[in-house]
Amino acid sequence: MEPKKNVWDEVVKGLKTWARVNSPWVLHFNSGSCNGCDIEILSTLTPRYDMERMGVKLQASPRHADILLATGAVTRQARERLVRIYEQMHEPKFVIAIGSCAISGGVFEGCYNVMGGIDQVIPVNAYIPGCPPRPEAIIYGVVKLLNSLLPAGSQIPAALPVPENTPEEVTTL
Amino acid sequence: MPENLAPKRFTIPIGPQHPALKEPGHFQFTVDGEVVTSAYVRLGYAHRGIEKAAEERTWIQNLYLIERICGICSHIHAMAYCLAVESLANVEAPPRAQAIRVLVAELERIHSHFLWIGVSAHEAGFETLFMYSWRDRETVMDLLEGLTGNRVNYSANLLGGVKFDLDQAQMDSIRKGVDFLEERTHHYLDVIMHDSTFLQRTRGIGVMTTAQAEVMGAVGPTARASNVKRDLRVEAPYSAYKTFPVQMALDTRGDLEARFEVRLNELFESFRLIRQILDNLPEGPLVARIPRRIPAGEAVVRLEAPRGEVYYFVKGNGSDKPERLKVRTPTICNLTSVIRLAVGHQLADVPMILAGIDPCFSCNDRMVQVRDAATDSQKMLTWEQLRQHGIDFYRSKAK
Amino acid sequence: MNSQEILTLAEAIVGAWDWATEVSHPRPNQIDVKVTHLNELVPIVVGLRVKRLGYLCAIVGLDLGPEVNEMEVLYHFCPGDVVIGLRVRIPRQGGAVPSLSEVIPSAEVFERELHEMFGIEITGLRNTERLYLPERWPEGVYPLRKDFDPASLAAHEGGV
Repeated sequence: MEPKKNVWDEVVKGLKTWARVNSPWVLHFNSGSCNGCDIEILSTLTPRYDMERMGVKLQASPRHADILLATGAVTRQARERLVRIYEQMHEPKFVIAIGSCAISGGVFEGCYNVMGGIDQVIPVNAYIPGCPPRPEAIIYGVVKLLNSLLPAGSQIPAALPVPENTPEEVTTL
Repeated sequence: MPENLAPKRFTIPIGPQHPALKEPGHFQFTVDGEVVTSAYVRLGYAHRGIEKAAEERTWIQNLYLIERICGICSHIHAMAYCLAVESLANVEAPPRAQAIRVLVAELERIHSHFLWIGVSAHEAGFETLFMYSWRDRETVMDLLEGLTGNRVNYSANLLGGVKFDLDQAQMDSIRKGVDFLEERTHHYLDVIMHDSTFLQRTRGIGVMTTAQAEVMGAVGPTARASNVKRDLRVEAPYSAYKTFPVQMALDTRGDLEARFEVRLNELFESFRLIRQILDNLPEGPLVARIPRRIPAGEAVVRLEAPRGEVYYFVKGNGSDKPERLKVRTPTICNLTSVIRLAVGHQLADVPMILAGIDPCFSCNDRMVQVRDAATDSQKMLTWEQLRQHGIDFYRSKAK
Repeated sequence: MNSQEILTLAEAIVGAWDWATEVSHPRPNQIDVKVTHLNELVPIVVGLRVKRLGYLCAIVGLDLGPEVNEMEVLYHFCPGDVVIGLRVRIPRQGGAVPSLSEVIPSAEVFERELHEMFGIEITGLRNTERLYLPERWPEGVYPLRKDFDPASLAAHEGGV
């Protein structure tokens, strides 16, 4: 009985990983940022960058999310909500800290109402630096995290080609 | 919590929140059926303590702090700070620098209004409009990146001037970009004014009379849509607006439709102004010398950000750090007016009413507490759920 | 009205309280009014309001420090491009100013911020809830005071 169960567990785990990696559901939370990183995250969903091509879907509920994209230096007021969201996410769950503020507090490090970064409050799996990081950098960071869950050889390419129908005005200015 | 919102009985909470967790909602509404009878906003989620931090940083370090108060209107904050400090130091940035500052400010206004129209469309369930406007917005992001080196947080300002100059190639690409954006703005104005499903959410909704707008201290396009003649670029021209004047975009109707149209209409002024500046860019240096220790004194500066009036007060004590910095953003003025406005409206209208003031906080994670006074039940909604409620409400009405 | 007309009108209004004010002109478009009798603050504001010069831009608190032992509150009214500044001084401990919120509803948020940041009492302000600071922020700790010590937050029981 025992050996069969282990093999099945591995298969299920592999399937789950594949599904999660190929169609990760992402939750975005702003813990008190200036909105700079947030608008670049939203930009990844818009036609030029279109992260949805990769199956990344923005979710509203922590219960359905695999990855938490967190911005901001974590104000005291937002801290409780951040913890709550993290607790509501099912395992396995991953946290990506996006932007300088999320990494270390950025320019607000030391301010009286700021905790100083996401990892001061919850565990973080990946950090994407920038003020704010470009959408390409955000996608790159998310892909790197996903690739770390996949066996070598079946990784997602981190540089995405520009989709064919992008109007000239958008690419040549 | 204000007494009238404290629940007498706590019944079944619906939503993704665990019943045992008592979290104050960002927004708290009491409803009688569908009608909002009281509204309350909890602020502080983005309060970082910038004014205190400014007292502990030098005048130059503060420039980098100030740019990050708001990622959407970073330049206007930096410009206000520079103008205030330059006023204390009795230094004026050279004309070419002032013109470039205004050019970037107008490009920022364009990016901000396109961002806002996308977000508002999203609130109303118009996903295609959101996608199109944000795709078009990439054009102005490219222009700003080409000029300044960054898409967001341009860091164009120096105390005493600007960091970069424009060359012919950049000016040509700005002209080309502005032509494209102007054509797109016509399209969006057409949609706003004629699309029946959009109008259902905006026409006659959220009306604020001129008197109400004045009494509640509304600013920016929110005020101008109620015929309040408040636009600092016109009534108190600063920087290069003295040489390159603009016209005020006004509307008399005071409803959401008016707020939408005012923002789009003022974009045409921005396009015109940008072309005019490019055609008449003054020659000269880009920076004026400014001392490291700024003389003691007080200065007040008021600028027209995309959302309305931003007010800066600085006090120097003769050292290399400010004695006091006070920043009063436009959203705090408009928020109080819009919260009062929600009362008497349907809950389904709340997302659009809030979108109408173009609030400068991230709306992604706002918990909304709704208490029904009639049944004395209470529920917590995510902003997404409230938004969907609005969309569903109007969709069923249209049938 | 142009700037000069506004300034002249403002001077005339404030002139009715010449026994309670000290007027100066720090800049060409500015009039600074030191209100020496605190009880006259609200009447002067009403006077400005009635003549349509009462658009309140901001209320600024200033901690002048333990040596001077006073605080200053600035009220900036900005009709057009003119800045009318009303200025009052109060004791650093236990200081209070009258609320403008009955006359100017939008003053409420400014006064709530003034109270939570400096500890200045606002007499007659109905809503004294926290505006920007979190609920669990300790009582009696006012961040914008010059003697604010961030360590006092860490020491606060249960964390902030």
